[in-house]
Amino acid sequence: MEIPYLVTPRKDTGLFNSKIAIWLFLASEVMLFGGFFSAYVFLRLGADYPWPERTLPVLPGLINTFVLIGSSVTVVFAWASLKLRNWRNFQIYMGITVFCAVVFMVFKGIEYNVKFHHQAVRLKDYTVIEGHLGYEKEGEQYVLDHKGNRVEENLIFIEASKLTFNTVRFHKPWVDELLGQAEHRKAKIVLAEDVSAVTEEGKAPTVIAKAGELFSNDLLGRIQKEHLAARSHNGQERTDALRAEWVKAKADNPGKKGWQIASTVNIDAAALAPKLLTEISTVSFNVEPATKFEFKPRDIKEADGQSRLRDDTVVDGKLLASPMVFHHVDAIDFQHLAMKAEAKGLDPMQAIENSWLIQNSPFAKAAWTWHKGEVAKLEKKLLDGYGLGDDKKPRRVPTHKEMYRIGWKDLGAKAESEGGVKLSWMDKTKEEFLGPNYDARGEATFPGFSVPREQVGFAAKFTPAWNTYYALYFTMTGLHGLHVIGGALVLAYYLFFGRKMYLENPEWLANRVEIGGLFWHFVDLVWIFVFPIFYLM
Amino acid sequence: MSSHATTDTGHDAHHDDHHHDPGFIRKWIFSTDHKIIGLQYGITALLFLAFGFYLMMVMRWSIAYPHQPLPEWMSWVFTDGWKARWLQDGKVTGETYNMFGAMHGTIMVFLGIVPLGFGAFGNYVTPLQIGAPDMAFPRLNMASYWIYLLGGLIMCGSFFLESGSAKSGWTNYSPLAGFADGQIVNQWLAGQTQWLVGLVFLITSSLLGSVNFITTIINLRVRGMTWMRMPFFVWAMLVTAFLLLLAFPPLEAAGIMQLMDRVAHSSFFMPSGLFTKSEGLADLSGGGSPLLFQHLFWFLGHPEVYVLLLPAFACVAEIIPANTRKPLWGYKSMVYSVLALGFLSFVVWAHHMYMTGMGAAVSTFFQTTTVLISVPSVVIITALLISLWGGSIRFTPPMMWACAFIPMFGIGGLTGLPLAFNLADLHLHDTYYVIGHFHYVVAPGILFGFFAGILHWYPKFTGRYMSKTLNHLHFWPSLVCMNLIFFPMLVQGMAGFHRRWYNGGDAYLEKAADGVNVFGQTVAQHIDLNIIMSMGAWTLALFQIPFIINLFTAWKVGKKVENDNPWNATTLEWATPTPPGHGNFLKEPVTYRGPYEYSREDCEDDFLPQWSAPRRLDPAIAPGGTESKPVAHS
Amino acid sequence: MADTPEAIKKSVKTYLFVGGILFLGTIITVLVATVPALDIGRHGFDAMDCILGLAIATFKASLVAYIFMHLNHEKKAVYWLFGSGLVMVCSLAFLTALAIFDPIYDVFFYSGK
Repeated sequence: MEIPYLVTPRKDTGLFNSKIAIWLFLASEVMLFGGFFSAYVFLRLGADYPWPERTLPVLPGLINTFVLIGSSVTVVFAWASLKLRNWRNFQIYMGITVFCAVVFMVFKGIEYNVKFHHQAVRLKDYTVIEGHLGYEKEGEQYVLDHKGNRVEENLIFIEASKLTFNTVRFHKPWVDELLGQAEHRKAKIVLAEDVSAVTEEGKAPTVIAKAGELFSNDLLGRIQKEHLAARSHNGQERTDALRAEWVKAKADNPGKKGWQIASTVNIDAAALAPKLLTEISTVSFNVEPATKFEFKPRDIKEADGQSRLRDDTVVDGKLLASPMVFHHVDAIDFQHLAMKAEAKGLDPMQAIENSWLIQNSPFAKAAWTWHKGEVAKLEKKLLDGYGLGDDKKPRRVPTHKEMYRIGWKDLGAKAESEGGVKLSWMDKTKEEFLGPNYDARGEATFPGFSVPREQVGFAAKFTPAWNTYYALYFTMTGLHGLHVIGGALVLAYYLFFGRKMYLENPEWLANRVEIGGLFWHFVDLVWIFVFPIFYLM
Repeated sequence: MSSHATTDTGHDAHHDDHHHDPGFIRKWIFSTDHKIIGLQYGITALLFLAFGFYLMMVMRWSIAYPHQPLPEWMSWVFTDGWKARWLQDGKVTGETYNMFGAMHGTIMVFLGIVPLGFGAFGNYVTPLQIGAPDMAFPRLNMASYWIYLLGGLIMCGSFFLESGSAKSGWTNYSPLAGFADGQIVNQWLAGQTQWLVGLVFLITSSLLGSVNFITTIINLRVRGMTWMRMPFFVWAMLVTAFLLLLAFPPLEAAGIMQLMDRVAHSSFFMPSGLFTKSEGLADLSGGGSPLLFQHLFWFLGHPEVYVLLLPAFACVAEIIPANTRKPLWGYKSMVYSVLALGFLSFVVWAHHMYMTGMGAAVSTFFQTTTVLISVPSVVIITALLISLWGGSIRFTPPMMWACAFIPMFGIGGLTGLPLAFNLADLHLHDTYYVIGHFHYVVAPGILFGFFAGILHWYPKFTGRYMSKTLNHLHFWPSLVCMNLIFFPMLVQGMAGFHRRWYNGGDAYLEKAADGVNVFGQTVAQHIDLNIIMSMGAWTLALFQIPFIINLFTAWKVGKKVENDNPWNATTLEWATPTPPGHGNFLKEPVTYRGPYEYSREDCEDDFLPQWSAPRRLDPAIAPGGTESKPVAHS
Repeated sequence: MADTPEAIKKSVKTYLFVGGILFLGTIITVLVATVPALDIGRHGFDAMDCILGLAIATFKASLVAYIFMHLNHEKKAVYWLFGSGLVMVCSLAFLTALAIFDPIYDVFFYSGK
């Protein structure tokens, strides 16, 4: 059996099978990316925070655009070479195409990496601080945790004296983590009191674990096993008891509906009690002596006294000061604050002056004063350049972003104007790719700052979590990147394994390259839209 | 046409140059033959349907007898540990009910009906009806099945996780679905996340499937099979494939975004200032929109309804002409209607969202298109009905189901009209009325169509008929029980029964026993219907047993078919050996005429197959030439 | 499709030319977006920038589809298949965005007023 029209087109449709298939696939891809573009439009129109306009460095995106356009040209050349039966040229052009894909992904990787290491925090009053979190130091030495990693300064510290675990839901890696931390700080975690339970029906309780036993996953596992066995047993007993009660209740209340008598049907707890086993749903451990533990902010609901981890572990102990320490602040952004102030009918400038940051950070205050001067200069420049409109208002005014955001380039310019470090254009170009150069520009440009935990409204790295703009950016470019990788793999397959087919049936290979090329062009086509909407708009 | 059924062996002899014995695994498990894949789809889908049905039986217990422990005959399936986790003293808890509800919907729609209609019937019958040797991309076809199975297993596997499976409804609305299972530390091991992962697999599977179908139908039609000579079945499959191709990707986008919300803590669908009981003020950036999820979901969701429905139409449209011995009435208008239906189904989605407050402008637009789309569906159902008129009807087993399909689907369709109107929907939204409406479409409607299809093509699958007696034992109780379950739902819905009451409304009774709705009805009046409906559901399950027995025993002991065309039908699948071997046709057929040439006056038999060569005297008919006109008959 | 060697050799020049236009279009878009003196409407980003940027992008995309993806030589069927996707995506984007005309929208979403 042979499927017709694999290589040659069918007469009436004029197409061979895979040509139809790839166009259908592309139609479906249009819908997939269309879904994301619709989401972009929808979320941007409805955004309740200042949408980050023209916020990404253009240069890497521009280079990537050129790389993709170039590869689009070379992939048609590769196809044309096959049509002309020139294997050598095909290899060269296809090689360039695949190389372009690699370059594209490398640039993408650099862009992602910079963002993943860049921290932002939105204070409770909607001031946004961006910068670089550091690692905790004692003197000149970095503080290391039990795994030998530096301790990042965005952690919640609790001086814990007691840990209570949910015996079903405790998360094993976290148990190991807590053990490691305790050992590192030379503390012991021991069982608070004897765990005894009835493990067989009608028997006396037996001790499963003794007070003072050392904390471990094994111990928790042992208790969990007993608990689950008891839970299963008791569930069955209670079900049987309730069934019996219902039979009785129905006999006692003839003619009544189930929902009418439901409230009177209950298990006789006292009668059932001797049959039940002991369920041990939680188990407590003492920390001796009370020791400082660190937790990632997302894993814990912290409170002084009793904090709760996501896996339902209760941590008793004192909440220690856990500020977020920026070693370098590289941007201060009042756009969101101004937006909120305007919505409430307040004067945004006044609101900024009153903000917690301006009140508490001399650097922020100085930067804001300097920035206001710059905005005034810009206002004047625009007025001189474009004059007043018919309504006696300036034709052009600074944007919201120019007025309320002090970006890292602004801070750099401020330091330069105050006689600080000046960078060569080479270094400045490097900054376009790698973000602000803290080492070269130094403390004077990007000073450190410590945000007390109670001022933190929302904090995230520049990841999808930071806002919907970055969520869209990472999801769409990530998906596009997956398409680049997939397309490049297919094209590379033709490049490296196509020789045999070329010798047997060159037309078939040409068709396949055409199909692969169509997909590749589509990937380029998506980028043609992705680039302006994320980098330029 | 031979007077005896040709067999596989004869076929192999003919194609010996290509024939290698593929071995059991290649032939039955990792097969690239569209027919085997069709059967794999069919059997898997039936198993999923049975599982989905079981979930519903447990839910119906909770609704009818809310405070009573699940009886032994339903609960024996679970292990003691599982029962201890999910049944409180043997009673179905709200959480468990939600879990079962969400998975019942998901399984029935994505893992049951679509694979049965599109995957099984489409795969088996479409290439045969257009005279193709196989699908255009056989290996893609195989991949499509295995990805579907994997997706299904991932979704259902989540029942055994600590978190349980997805429990935010089959629609998986954010922000509820974004937070569900938030207590699970490793989000990849949460049921709600696995639902999304499974969904991405299912979408990939249906993408591969639909590309394959459309390419096959466009390019592999046999000589003489012009567009207007294609059976209605093939048209319906073509439109279904387009719906899958274009409607699923936006849901995939939504699924990916929700996955990001869950594992990367983004806020695509999370509004600012979201506060929940379990999480407090959400540690999220906010700024997203729950409405966006609904838009993207229902952009799939509504075309999906037609993905479910069209294969059932397709089956019935093949069965009715073959059993009335009369051409399909209005074949062309049916084809145009199905195309219009396909197009319109893309612009009606927001009628599921009137209650979101998306605005009067949008509502008005979608209300209009929704009313419009009823026109082509009514054209199709009317054409099917009129096809019965004046025919010499044979009440063969498939025909019984096909005849029941028409009124059952009719009830389902007509009860949808009030829901199309914004004003009526405000009252009926999220009540049992809605449940009754779409279950009438899907259960006694679409499923009856599929039972008809199974009985109709079973002789082609196996060379044997299914038992008539067992079919009677299956059909009549099913017809009664279906109405027993779903008709009271319409009544309850108008009385204001909310669709998500896990205890059937008695908790509501405690709070508002005297509440009277606009129709002057109270919940207390209709709460006892719950018991009748649940009894109906369990009885329905009991009477599926004859079908299961029939399905498996007829394979070995059923009455053998007399020849390759046991129903004396006209379309090309009956020109193949029984069952068809790899490559389908003994020699490539040629199509000479339209698909439904029954009871022609110029023909001795009451049917003239598409492949039967014309007599020389008839110069108008030639391969690839113009269509022959069916002769009108009294 | 241009299947003869001569026709293909000829079209290679077209490909190069189109590649050049694509590069040029990209540069224009970036300049308009980054150089304040080239602002068309208001100072900073505004609707005009959006329209211009998307217009250039659409033009570039059409060139890619028309020349590189050979739509200029392609059969009618392909237009139907691919066009169906384009039509649907427009309906999706447009109809979902209709939500901004909704009065209730403002309650959930902050508007700058």
